[in-house]
Amino acid sequence: MKTIKTATRLGPVLGLGLLAMASAAHAGAPTCESGAIQIGAVSTVTGPVDFSAGPKATAAYFEKLNAAGGINGCTIEFEMADDRGDPLVATQAARNLIDNKNVVAMVGSASLLDCGVNAALYQRSNVLSVSGLGVDPVCYSSPSVAPVHPGPYALSTAMLYFASQELGAERVCAFNYVIGGWREAMEGALKDWETITGKDLHILDMTLPVQGDLTPYLIRARDEGCDAVFTNQVEPGIVQWINTADAQGISGIDWVFLASGYTEGVAKALADSPQPIYVGTEWEPYTLQNEANQDWLDLVTEAGLAPSAFSQGGYLAGRVITDVIAGIDGEVTREAVADALRNMEPASYPIAAGPYLFGKGATDGPMRATKVVKLNAGAWDVVTPEWLGVPTTN
Amino acid sequence: MDSLFTSAVAGLSAGGAYAILGVCVVFTYRLVAVVNFTATALGAVGAFVMVMLTELGYPMFPAVLTGVVAGTLVSVIVGFITTIWFSGSNQTVKAAVTAALLVCIIALGLRLTGGQHPRAFPDLIGGAGIKLAGVTITAASLVAIALAVLLTVAVEQFLGRTRTGLQLRALSERPMAAELLGVPVRRLAIGVWALSGAMTTIALMLIAPLRSPDFGSLSLLVVPAFAAALVGSFNSFRAALAGGILIGVVEGLASGFVGLNQYRAAVPFIVILAVLLWSQRGARWDEAR
Repeated sequence: MKTIKTATRLGPVLGLGLLAMASAAHAGAPTCESGAIQIGAVSTVTGPVDFSAGPKATAAYFEKLNAAGGINGCTIEFEMADDRGDPLVATQAARNLIDNKNVVAMVGSASLLDCGVNAALYQRSNVLSVSGLGVDPVCYSSPSVAPVHPGPYALSTAMLYFASQELGAERVCAFNYVIGGWREAMEGALKDWETITGKDLHILDMTLPVQGDLTPYLIRARDEGCDAVFTNQVEPGIVQWINTADAQGISGIDWVFLASGYTEGVAKALADSPQPIYVGTEWEPYTLQNEANQDWLDLVTEAGLAPSAFSQGGYLAGRVITDVIAGIDGEVTREAVADALRNMEPASYPIAAGPYLFGKGATDGPMRATKVVKLNAGAWDVVTPEWLGVPTTN
Repeated sequence: MDSLFTSAVAGLSAGGAYAILGVCVVFTYRLVAVVNFTATALGAVGAFVMVMLTELGYPMFPAVLTGVVAGTLVSVIVGFITTIWFSGSNQTVKAAVTAALLVCIIALGLRLTGGQHPRAFPDLIGGAGIKLAGVTITAASLVAIALAVLLTVAVEQFLGRTRTGLQLRALSERPMAAELLGVPVRRLAIGVWALSGAMTTIALMLIAPLRSPDFGSLSLLVVPAFAAALVGSFNSFRAALAGGILIGVVEGLASGFVGLNQYRAAVPFIVILAVLLWSQRGARWDEAR
């Protein structure tokens, strides 16, 4: 039994080695005459949020890969920079990685603002970013960045779709808060849902305060008869939202949230709430111990990292770039990696919400699927065991 | 009309929170002449100590008590820094010191409490309270409003009628003269800081369950607290109390108007501006003449 387990655990890495060897024999293989392959990441670690779980998993993935012999004998040196949620620091960090460390790509970055601040720099320098967690809209509309998950905008469409098609809500309401350049992307996501389903939002309110009391909004949702309410609140905001609904004794509304609510913290804080709370995930639900999660789960367990959705993104980004580099014939340079990413075929991973495609254009291959989890007495239950795919609008 | 009244009532629970915090801010300013930017952050320290203890399984009462003690202690530390290290500095410098400390406390607090990850704040005073125009005003909100009123009355009486109150007024207006007259300036000042720390902690423990339960958001409640204090020009407890409730109600009203609701966050400040212009009209008028 133990042998089988070890074999499964080493499976992907060994498989990769074999893949690399096979391609070496037949179609050439990646080489690294100038030393280890340099890869960077710009993430928000200190500052308003801590996304470090993502790039830590990327680092662990590369360590495991190096220990197993690297990619065709090439090891990877990975450096994670902290942007502190500060645009200036983010630019300096990216420049340092590009100019001084000579990275060939950015992988597993998980940042509040890296895309918005650095996407143009990445495009100019031909350093492409396989982001582990993209927050701002630029991550999904720039030819130099392609995150490994659907992202908050595609997921908004998916969750509205879930509310209207799966939960059968007639009056779907949306209350969102908007920061900087989010509005257009968020409105686009809501419009997408309207085009797909032919329905209209019963209430569309884009004025949620980032800080402040939510009582008036919940009263409005109740008084105008919403069946389901979608909001893009993040973790603490979701707790505040549900606590306010409980304080007002609201019942009969399904609450639909984005992936940032899918955490232990939210589950614990809202364990006693009777409200129906649904959250869309960006990857295979991380609380499931199944085949799709096995390789990632083994990685985080061995590396001593806490399992979280962020670490799934970091892991997947590492896996994607490894496969892409393994397909390169010749020296692994910035140009070679950029070409390989731009010309890659869609690649499927069981942990991902859909095939991953970097692509040449600005909005190639965004994943448009989710698995929905529901909070049930302090634990997350999966309510859509199959990926819930959203039809494309064009 | 009905829906307008509903919107206004919906703002009451926020108003209660702003009122009690506003009164606490005026308290520190009136008695030790410091515009205390750290006010709510200090209360947040106490509230988070409490929630961390309850999450570890400690019973409610000792957790609350430890939290209040913690809030009081950090407040005394900030008080010590402003009154002892910066005793000779003017109000502007002291305010700047507390602003710097606020940044420091938020950064530390976010790190130690797990950043944005929410905490399960227990409802100290459970129960639905009362229902008005279809809106439930929670028992905790009612208690917050009642505490704010109680505090206003008690402090006004204390300052106006007791010898210590007189000394405290002397301390805030002419600290040097008060010291020369033998008023135990430092001891009194530290006492004021301790008391305001304890009060803010209790206020935040009441408010936290209905706010975003992370350290940064709770600390930044200092903004509406200052707004409430500003209504009373940082001087009148009653005006701060009324101002806090007014700001909450106006916020609630603003979110009821489609079109105006986008500017909801700015509306209270327009109200403050109007109140200040009105209340200062005499002085302005005299000057203009």
